[in-house]
Parts: sequence; structure tokens; C-alpha cells
Amino acid sequence: MTEEEKNEIQQLFERRNGLNELAKILTPNNDALYQKLVKDMGETGTKFQNWWDRMAAKYQWEADENGHWEINFDTCEIFLVTE
Amino acid sequence: MIEYLIIQLDNTSTSYCHYGIERKERKLIPIDILKAGIKFGMMENLMIQFIYPDYSLPEGYAEVIESIDHSKIVSSQCEDKALEAEADVIVFHDWTDLSKSELDQKKCYVLRTTKTDLFDRYLFLKETLSKVLRLNVVITDVETFTEQDFERYKQILHALSEHVEKLYVESKSPQLNILTDRMMLEKMNNCGAGDSNITLAPNGKFYVCPAFYYENEENCIGDLKHGLDIKNPQLYKLNFAPICRHCDAYQCKRCIWLNRKITLEVNTPSHEQCVVAHLERNTSRELLENIRKHGMFMPDIEIKEIDYLDPFDKREEW
Amino acid sequence: MMLSVTANYYHHYPKHYFMTVYKIKENKGVWQEGAYKNITFIVTKDCQLACKYCYLVGKNVKERMTWETAKAFIDYVLGHEDEFREESVVWDFIGGEPFLEIELIDKICDYLKLRMFELNHHWFNSYRFSFSTNGINYHTPAVQHFIQKNREHLSIGITIDGTQKKHDLNRVWKQATPDENGIIHPSDRGSYNDVVKNIPLWLSQFPDAGTKVTISSADIPYITESVLHLYSLGIHQMNINVVFEDVWQEGDDKRFEDQLMQLADAIIDNGWYHDYACSFFSENIGKPLDPNRDNQNWCGAGRMLSVDAAGNLYPCTRFAAYSLRSKKALIIGNIHDGINQNLLRPFLSLDRTTQSPQKCLDCEVASGCAWCQGENYDAAQTDTIYQRSTAICLMHKAHVRANNYYWNKLYRKLELEGLREEFEKNKKTTNPVIC
Repeated sequence: MTEEEKNEIQQLFERRNGLNELAKILTPNNDALYQKLVKDMGETGTKFQNWWDRMAAKYQWEADENGHWEINFDTCEIFLVTE
Repeated sequence: MIEYLIIQLDNTSTSYCHYGIERKERKLIPIDILKAGIKFGMMENLMIQFIYPDYSLPEGYAEVIESIDHSKIVSSQCEDKALEAEADVIVFHDWTDLSKSELDQKKCYVLRTTKTDLFDRYLFLKETLSKVLRLNVVITDVETFTEQDFERYKQILHALSEHVEKLYVESKSPQLNILTDRMMLEKMNNCGAGDSNITLAPNGKFYVCPAFYYENEENCIGDLKHGLDIKNPQLYKLNFAPICRHCDAYQCKRCIWLNRKITLEVNTPSHEQCVVAHLERNTSRELLENIRKHGMFMPDIEIKEIDYLDPFDKREEW
Repeated sequence: MMLSVTANYYHHYPKHYFMTVYKIKENKGVWQEGAYKNITFIVTKDCQLACKYCYLVGKNVKERMTWETAKAFIDYVLGHEDEFREESVVWDFIGGEPFLEIELIDKICDYLKLRMFELNHHWFNSYRFSFSTNGINYHTPAVQHFIQKNREHLSIGITIDGTQKKHDLNRVWKQATPDENGIIHPSDRGSYNDVVKNIPLWLSQFPDAGTKVTISSADIPYITESVLHLYSLGIHQMNINVVFEDVWQEGDDKRFEDQLMQLADAIIDNGWYHDYACSFFSENIGKPLDPNRDNQNWCGAGRMLSVDAAGNLYPCTRFAAYSLRSKKALIIGNIHDGINQNLLRPFLSLDRTTQSPQKCLDCEVASGCAWCQGENYDAAQTDTIYQRSTAICLMHKAHVRANNYYWNKLYRKLELEGLREEFEKNKKTTNPVIC
């Protein structure tokens, strides 16, 4: 993939990780912030999935029902990893 | 290479630069140290500048001083008026004194002023410029400039520049360090402390400049007995000043003491110093262009148009 | 960079992928290519150890950061987003031993995450929490709980110096009680056993983790066996540096060179270059440097920011009082007044040529020769960062000779095996103009 595409997913990946870890410490007690977190997690998850869908369609990556794709952020390469 | 030796005749010798006089008690340089200092200057082939206190020197000192070619730097408040008449540079410490003094068209003057006083009274400089050979304006609190101050200073420089242009058109050649120097310079012409000049204090020790003596007597760079001992001498040279060596605000004072005071490094100027110097530089550029509209003037000097006021902001490009 | 030919790597590729891939085992690339702001909390000056080479000469048990100081600092940094424009941040925690303050650290990190999110700060999308620890407390429930909570954002390095003999030469427990002057002395008890037991856990949680190995004069005879020992523990990434301080004895450079040559032989003859990285051997070391083109400052002092227990700010931890032997601390601000930008100017302007003596500028093997602005300052004849300390000069030259030997030997081996061309094609190229 291109460098820009890689940057896009990397940022989403980082944000998703950040939101997941925030979810471990944020409780509904802090209502406004909790709501913001929930909303963000939903939106980020959607963007995350959309990226994969777009890229798979663009690049026609080989798929395997027992496999998954992995990205090397250093090289922008993507690999199909089968179980 | 060291070319000048500044000899402070007393602890209360006048300041001619950014530093204030910290010592209130007189401490006259002993005559044997004075003689040894002059001898040192002669042997090292240095031009000597004597900085005088405001009181008359005792008998015998004048004779020793006159034994060598030298320059005299004297305060306008010196009680020895005959000395003031002989002075090469007269220093004013306040505007009232300047406004009341009779000025000599053949003399150089220094006006030490705060930014506030300059902003309030700058118009008086228009009158002064016609009456002196040269005027050096030293803003003693330049390190306190704010963004508003920069804007105000820019306006003042512009106003003065219009007046200087008129004088040039009238075939006069006023010298005002903050405006006309840059038009004449093709390379850096700065303070030079520690590089082209050093100071001998009344205690017989050498210092980078009088300000360093006042700050801490232990910060000497040698003495008459053992000679000069400047640690890290390269840091007083332009080549080892990472910002300045790329700069063309040649008229900048590059005050070594202020550098050290504000940034903790003798080779690094503060943001305020850089911006002030570039405001002056840019106004000099405009002045040069405007004078040239009236006829050929300094054809070999070029001051380029730039889009920054602090060369530090351009460091990535070097 | 090192070359790896792993036969079964090929089979993971789709059928149309014909080229044999040569995996190069190099030291893991720097996160975000180094374009991040490093912000350090000096959470404590206490440590269980009294390592003999530790540059932190003023360690003590009294100076511990309070939550109030940490919070004020965080509020200042996050509240001045326009002053901190780097895309990413590494929140770094040091001591002493940082994990002695795991509760404070946990609270700090929770607050950082909350506030970055709440403020929509750009760093929420790109941050790490970084630790350099002696490893002794790594297994404790509090530390492990913290790791689990922040798993995806952690960088933890455990310092293990090599074999037990080498490690315990310097990394010793401190004596239980101070002397009559209040000084805590090293004991005779090494810490190797207390650290090595945590290595498997650490590597299971951070398989790509590396260790930092510090070489001082007394360590030289143990370099080869120590590096190989660390490999045997499963550590694949190693950053090894000689100390910047002037501790070297006559003949140390020759002994250092001999050790590195032995290490080179061991790595190449046994093929360990496939899977293990050692920062000693790099293709970029030992070349002349152009005074204009290769003038950049590689030391991060001034680009980093450290805060101590008193809320003082430093351009790097090395300028805090407890890091300095002979100079006063160089404080650039505090949590109440912020950073004095004028005090940062010398750091951000410093380059290679304005700090180096002529012998460095003329040096034909200058590339890879490091400097530390903190050591510059500490060792200088005046209070300046612009006098480069050259105590490591002979050690660098010895390093270069051994490094040349390594690459000549490896290249020749690759040539004889017919693999040299593929190696050249597939190795990562560095931008010849170092920016």
C-alpha cells in the first residue's frame, strides 16, 4: 500500500488501542466523558473496518477463510497469514 | 585576534554598553597596575581605551595615560569638564542630560536608554543627529522587549529613517548605529568582547568585558602577572556562533554579556536581541532603497529582503 | 544491518511471489522514526541499586515526585499544545528506579490518557509510555497490573549487562544504611539473579524488546561473553554504548577492539547475524563527515523535556543536579512559569562544528562518534554545552576498526555464498543526506 494509506490505518490502529485502554479506566460515573468514549469507539471501529474494506477492494488482496492480513508498518507490506 | 584593550580606571567608571554600574564605591586602579596594563597593551600591539569615572583622577594619572596613544570614554556627568572636552566618546545616561548638553559635531556620543524612554522621547534624536558626528543608541533593557515593543520599535525606526533620509538628501551623513551602520557594513561588526577586545579591571585582572567583572570578579580571563588565559576562546568568535554566523544583521551588537545572561551561552543571542537587530536591519534596507531613489548611494551594498525576524527560526535550512 | 536467509519465510507468500526474500535483522527501527517529543518524569531519585557507573551521582531517597507536581506539569504541557507540535510523544519515566513509584506512575498515566482524550489532543493518537528499569520489581503485581492496563502503549527496557560476572561487577545492591555522612555506598551483592529471573516474563510480553548495555573500563574483558549470553537469554535487540565520561585507562581501546573482533567472529561464524542485532556493528560508522552537509546535532537535549520532583524543567535529565559531577543544574523553567525559550536556543542551535575541536572536524572516521550535551557541559572548562567532550575518541576509533573487520568479513562470506548481490538489493538504504 502507499505510505499515506499506511499512515491512515496506523493512526486508526493507535487510536483504537488508546480508546480500548481508556475504556479500562473510564466508568459511566464520568458520564460526559464516558459517552464521548463510547461514541468515539464506535466511530473509530467503523473507520477501521472501512479502511480494510476499501483497501481490499482496491488491491484485490488474496484472502483465506483461515487467515488474516497483517501489516508491516515499517515497510507498508501486507501479508496474508494463514493458521 | 585581540586588537583593543579596555582599561577601567575605577570601579565606578562609566558604562558605555548594556551593563549597569553595580559598584557604588570608588576603587581607583593603582598606578602600578595602570602602568603595567599600558605596557601590556604596547607589547601586544593593542589600541587602548580608557574608561573614566565621574570624578577627577588624582595627580600623576594623566601623565601615565598620556604616555600612550589611546581613546577616552567619558560620561557626560564627569566633573572634569576639561576631560570631557578631550573625550573621544561621551556617554549619556539620560535624555534630560542629552537635551541640555552642548554637543560637538566632531564627537561620538553614546546614549544609554531604556526602551520606555526611547519610545517616549525618540523624536529628540532627530535634533541630535544634526549636532553630532555619530550617535550610538544602546537600549539597556533590550532583553525585556515584548511583541508590542517590537511593533513600537519598528514604528520608531521608520520615523527616524525618514528623517535620516532627509539629512542624506541634504548632503549630510549622520551616523546612527541602529539605522545607518548596516548600510555601510559588508560583514559583522559587533561587540567583539573576548575576541577583538578584552578589559583590564582595577584589580589588575583581565575580563571579557567590564560587565563580567561586575558580575563576578572570579570570572577573570587572566591577569597581568600570568597573562591571558581565555577558556574556550573559540566561543567568542563568529564562526562558533551557530545562529550569528548565518546572520546578516551586521550592525547587531551581539553583546556577549547579554548572551550569557539570557541564554547562558556567550555564543547564543536571545530572541529579543535577534528581532531588534532585524527590525533595524530591515529599516536600514528601506532607508538604503529610499536614499537610492535620490541618486547613487553605496552601490556595492546589498541588503536582501527576508521573511523572518529571528534567524533561529530558519535554522533547519542551514 | 544483518542478513537473514530463512528458507521457510518464502512459503508464507502467495504463489506468484517469486523472489526469495532476505530478511535483514537490524536493530528495531526507532518508533515514528524518532519524530516524537520525549517528556521525562523524574519520579524518584531512589533506587535499590548503587551501580558503580551510574551517572546519577546524587541519588537519594528523599526526592520523590508528588502527584500534585506531576499533575501541574501535565496540565502545563497539555495546555500548551501550540508549543508542542511534534506528532507523537513518549512519556518517559526514570529515577533512580522508576518502578519504585509504580502507583504514582499508574496515576500519572491514567491522567494522561484521560486528559489527552478529553482535550482532543493530537497526542492521543500517538503516544507511548517508556521505562528503563533495573528489572528487579518487574514481576510484582503492581507492575504487572500496570503493564496489562497499558499493554499497547508500552516500551520497557530492562538493563541487564551481560553475564553474571559482568553484570555484578557494577550493578550491585546498595548498602542498607548510609554512612555517618549520609552517603549510601555500594554493597558487595550483585543484582544479576534478581533481574535475570524476570527476563522470560519480560520477553514473553515484549518479544521485540531490547536491552541497553553500558560499557565502562572494567567491563571491557566481558563484552563478548556478555553479548552472547544476552542472546542466549533470548534478547534479540541490543544497544551497547561506551560511557561518555572520562573513565578510560591506557590500553582500553586495544582491549575494546580485541573484544569486538572476537564478537564479530562469533556472530559471523555462527550465523547469528540472521536473527540477532547488535548496535556495535553498523555500516554507517567510521566515515568522514562533511562540515556543511553532515553538521546536524543528533543529541536530543533541548528537544526533550524533563521534570523533577520540585517541578523544575530541564532540557534533558542529564542537566539535573543529581546527574552532574561538577556543574550546577541547568534549569530551563518550572511548572508554574513554563519553559524559558531563550534557554533552549543554545540547545536547538548546537551543531557538530560549533562544539567540536579541530581534531574532530578533521577526523577521517568521524561518523558514528557520539556526543552527549550533558557530558559536554559537565566536563567543559566553562559553563557551556559547546565544548565537546572527546573522552571516547580512542574508543570510537577502536570501535571503527572492529566494525570495519566485521563488515569486510561478512561481505566476503556473503560473496562466497553468492548472496552479496541480493543483500545489497534488499538492504534498507539510508538517505545519504542526513537530515
